[in-house]
Amino acid sequence: MILCRCEEVTYETVRATKEKYQCDARELKLRTRAGMGYCGGRVCRPLLDKISQNKNERLESQVIPLKYQPPVRPITFQRMQGDHHG
Amino acid sequence: MDRINHHPILGERPKKEAVTFTFDNTTYVGEEGDTVAVALLSNDIRTLRHHEESGSARGIYCNIGHCFECRVTVNDIEGCRACLTVIEDNMKVESGKRLPNPLKQGGSFDE
Repeated sequence: MILCRCEEVTYETVRATKEKYQCDARELKLRTRAGMGYCGGRVCRPLLDKISQNKNERLESQVIPLKYQPPVRPITFQRMQGDHHG
Repeated sequence: MDRINHHPILGERPKKEAVTFTFDNTTYVGEEGDTVAVALLSNDIRTLRHHEESGSARGIYCNIGHCFECRVTVNDIEGCRACLTVIEDNMKVESGKRLPNPLKQGGSFDE
């Protein structure tokens, strides 16, 4: 079952990684790339947060949810250097 | 996939002007006000691109401009969302291709 469509990361991979390293959402993202894709985590962020929160020993407040990293929308380098229709 | 012409609630579908555009160098006809995704779907084309890494076929997923699964190149502008881009006459649409990955050992893998 695919969790992160952009990076094609399956639920099994994420579950196994979480099991092995007991990591939070951020570490899961670093280890499995889930959430690093073109859509910027739009589709899989809630799933990743949910997975890393349940059965987690640390206090709910200590679990840092995944950050929203700029750019908020994918942008081409042409457009970044001012080429309007790039 | 043909369009719904007689809808139980919306009633008859209004007549629309035809719009011709090309997708990967093949000409297709859609209707005025169609998005690229809809026009291609009405022409039975569901694969809008192939995943850059694995080459798996991708197409419409959210259809509201949220997931970027339907991104295509429109008139040489990359990353346009087919579900949001309305078709215009002789618009050039190109699908995303799988990118070469020479540094990866063992060549391509097609699960």
